Amino acid sequence: MDSQSTLNKYGVIGAGSFGIAIANLLAENGEVLLYTRTEEQTNEINKTHRSKDYALNERIRATNDFKEIAEECFLIFPIVPSDSFVEMLEEFAPYLKPSHILIHGTKGLYTPKKISKEVELKKNEVFTMSELIKIKTGVVRIGCLAGPNLASELSENQPAATVIASEFNEVIELGQKALRSSRFQVYGSNELLGVELAGVLKNYVAIASGMLTGLGYGENARALLITRGMAELIYVAKALGASEKAFLGLAGIGDLIATCNSPKSRNYSVGLMLAEGKKLDEIVASIGEVAEGIKTLQIVRALQKYGYKAPLAEILYKIVFEDLPIKKGIDFLMRFTIEKDADYIV
Amino acid sequence: MEEHLKIKNKLEPVVSEITDWPIYKLSQDKDSFLKEIVDRTSSSLLETYDDANTLHSELKSVLYQEKNRLTKEPWKSDSPEERIFWSEVKRKILLTDKIEDDKKKFKEDKKILISILDYYSNEIVAHFDPKKYRVARKVLPFLFSRLMNASPGKKLKFLFNSKKTIYDKFNITGPIDHIRNLSKKGTVIIVPTHFSNIDSPTIGLVIDIIGLPAMTYGAGINLFTIGILSRWLNDLGAYKLDRRRKNKTYLELLKNYSTVAITRGAHSLFFPGGTRSRSGQIEKKLKLGLLGTALEAQRENLLNFQEDTAKKIYIVPVVLNYHFVIEASSLINQHLAIEGKEQYLPGKEDYSTSYKLIKLIFKVLTANPGMTISFASPMDVVGNEVDFEGNSINNINQNVNIKDYFTVNGVMTEDKQRDNVYTSMLGEKIVEKFLSANTVLSSHLIAFVAFELIQKEFKNLDIYQLLRIPVDEIEIDAEIFKVEVNNIKEKIMDLYAEGKLRIHDRLKGENEVIIKHGLKNLGVYHPQLPLLEKANGDLITEDLKVLYFYHNRLSGYGLAEHFK
Repeated sequence: MDSQSTLNKYGVIGAGSFGIAIANLLAENGEVLLYTRTEEQTNEINKTHRSKDYALNERIRATNDFKEIAEECFLIFPIVPSDSFVEMLEEFAPYLKPSHILIHGTKGLYTPKKISKEVELKKNEVFTMSELIKIKTGVVRIGCLAGPNLASELSENQPAATVIASEFNEVIELGQKALRSSRFQVYGSNELLGVELAGVLKNYVAIASGMLTGLGYGENARALLITRGMAELIYVAKALGASEKAFLGLAGIGDLIATCNSPKSRNYSVGLMLAEGKKLDEIVASIGEVAEGIKTLQIVRALQKYGYKAPLAEILYKIVFEDLPIKKGIDFLMRFTIEKDADYIV
Repeated sequence: MEEHLKIKNKLEPVVSEITDWPIYKLSQDKDSFLKEIVDRTSSSLLETYDDANTLHSELKSVLYQEKNRLTKEPWKSDSPEERIFWSEVKRKILLTDKIEDDKKKFKEDKKILISILDYYSNEIVAHFDPKKYRVARKVLPFLFSRLMNASPGKKLKFLFNSKKTIYDKFNITGPIDHIRNLSKKGTVIIVPTHFSNIDSPTIGLVIDIIGLPAMTYGAGINLFTIGILSRWLNDLGAYKLDRRRKNKTYLELLKNYSTVAITRGAHSLFFPGGTRSRSGQIEKKLKLGLLGTALEAQRENLLNFQEDTAKKIYIVPVVLNYHFVIEASSLINQHLAIEGKEQYLPGKEDYSTSYKLIKLIFKVLTANPGMTISFASPMDVVGNEVDFEGNSINNINQNVNIKDYFTVNGVMTEDKQRDNVYTSMLGEKIVEKFLSANTVLSSHLIAFVAFELIQKEFKNLDIYQLLRIPVDEIEIDAEIFKVEVNNIKEKIMDLYAEGKLRIHDRLKGENEVIIKHGLKNLGVYHPQLPLLEKANGDLITEDLKVLYFYHNRLSGYGLAEHFK
């Protein structure tokens, strides 16, 4: 690698709405190589500087070639759905070296096991995306992006902020340098696992929040959901080995508030549709994929025998997969909540 | 399971001329070596103490701690000149106290700092005398082997029967050829588990047996107290560590000593657990300070030399196992005291003098069927496996360039925080290797099974309550014991097949024989035996804590779940 020619050239893997939003932010500070799955999309972007509804900065060039990205960029942001993350890594791995730095922006968990109602998971059968990078590639300097970053708002150039978490300070600093702008603030954290889990786990609380709206409930109920939901997420995260620290920051409470209040959030919309009486398969058909929150819900529930109480996850699971009427579920939760307030703070 | 070489005889030295050994060259270049250490240390310290006030108060604090050490914790090894030196430092500090001009004050304090570093480095520095080494390598094994063959009553001629040699006493396993080859290609750092005071002499001898050049290593300054051992250690290349000193200036100098020695190609040895494992368990947490010097040295080699000439550094974990650790009782008591549930009981045994230590070595060697020294496969400084030629192979079987771990945008950079993360990664890998190279001895197997059965018998008690019950209330049924030994041995065989641990050859034999051998050897020379057989075959203990100590050698494998 020649240091001059690759100065300020960043890679982004995945041209979904969030990938494009990040690419646009990076393009303010340098050149961007954007990986797209299909050649058609590559050509479309390079010709029109647009992809679907989104405009792309002129400094973004699309490519369909992992090798090219690995050779030209040392700092790369993988932002693909958790479902295809492993596949992406396996294709990308032959070109990656320990000199690369990866900061992913995928809020999801992965398990190689097939999930069903009976399946129980062990801690070492569930992986965060950074753990996958560690296992599947030779890259060691790894970070993640998390925080209230609704892609549509980012694309409208609204002010926002994110957190980059990594064990390595240099990963945080390089990520900050690459992403920071007058409308985008970037905080740092060394709590990689905590920040990743905060970003992932909040998804099912967002589904519940959508349900509340669908039922016509107001802000008292939502505030209750957000605070108790937050407590539950912290218990789960602690059981998985993270600290509560990240949850009190932008990636935790920040992201939770944003997704629980926004119809633009996919998970929130799923909750809304569930409250309208739609079934899961109808919803999947209408949004074109299984929302991360649904997958998270299954994993959290399958891990539950691990020794934490997650009543919200349990009830939501019953509503989504076992046709428990929503009202009944809420009744149950209202009676269940007997813990002390904010007891996760020691 | 990878086949591991077993050493039957002493191997040809990798480098035959002692005067070609890195440790000898280091000793020859002592002046420039020490100067480099002092320069590095002062410049790194002055990054922190970068103004007159902070530097001045650091000097005062060093002085205070040193005065305290000399008055409150004096050792015989303290040289009388030390007092004179520190009085002189005090006089100088009092003088700079009065200087008002900050620049001038800083300049004078810098001189004091350098004089302290000079003093420290001259105290620490190892000497290496090839003549003495040649004598030692001849005399020591001779002495050892004679002593081991000699049992009371045997006639003198047995002393000169050379059929049985010392090498029979050392059960050495691991990829020895690989390690020997790497010692030619780069710099080898041996990191053993630490279980007993005899670990240092054992590993020193084993390194010579497998033909590696002598290693640089730090020995506690208290071992230098008494005549012969002091001279040996010093002439054999050991540098002196004073564990009483905790001041940053000293610790920084020690680290730099290690870093510079490694960058100058001196093969090194340190115990990454810091001190002996109190609990008897394989170390789970390592001290990362000295380990970090390996990483730092690797980064500097890459920075200062062309890629093809930059020496690569290889980390070799080693596990030492004995049937009998004479300090077991005091170690486990200290462990329990540290855990805070029991009043501190001072150890009965103390091997702070060389005479006692030598006696201990002889006792263990003469008493024991031997020692097991298991070398793990070597790694680079970030924990990758390395092939025979020394190339790094990462977790997904790619050939990787070690330099890539230190570059940003294609350029090598220095980043202490990054170094620290890599060092803790390396530490985790070393711990994994300790577990997989640990060799199960018959005595450890029976200690593990016996203690677990006792624990299950009294399952309502926590470990501290359990260890306090009178030993005459404990009895293990012979039949149950046999069944569980059988059962746990099978699990151990499974783990062995998966490469998760190693077993002593004896474990491949009949269970009855294993139990018998284990009972015969488990901590045999303790005044109270950890495990013994009654006439009817049932088992009893005279010292539950010591049994617990030996049992701990097999914790960390999840074996306890498998009891029937």
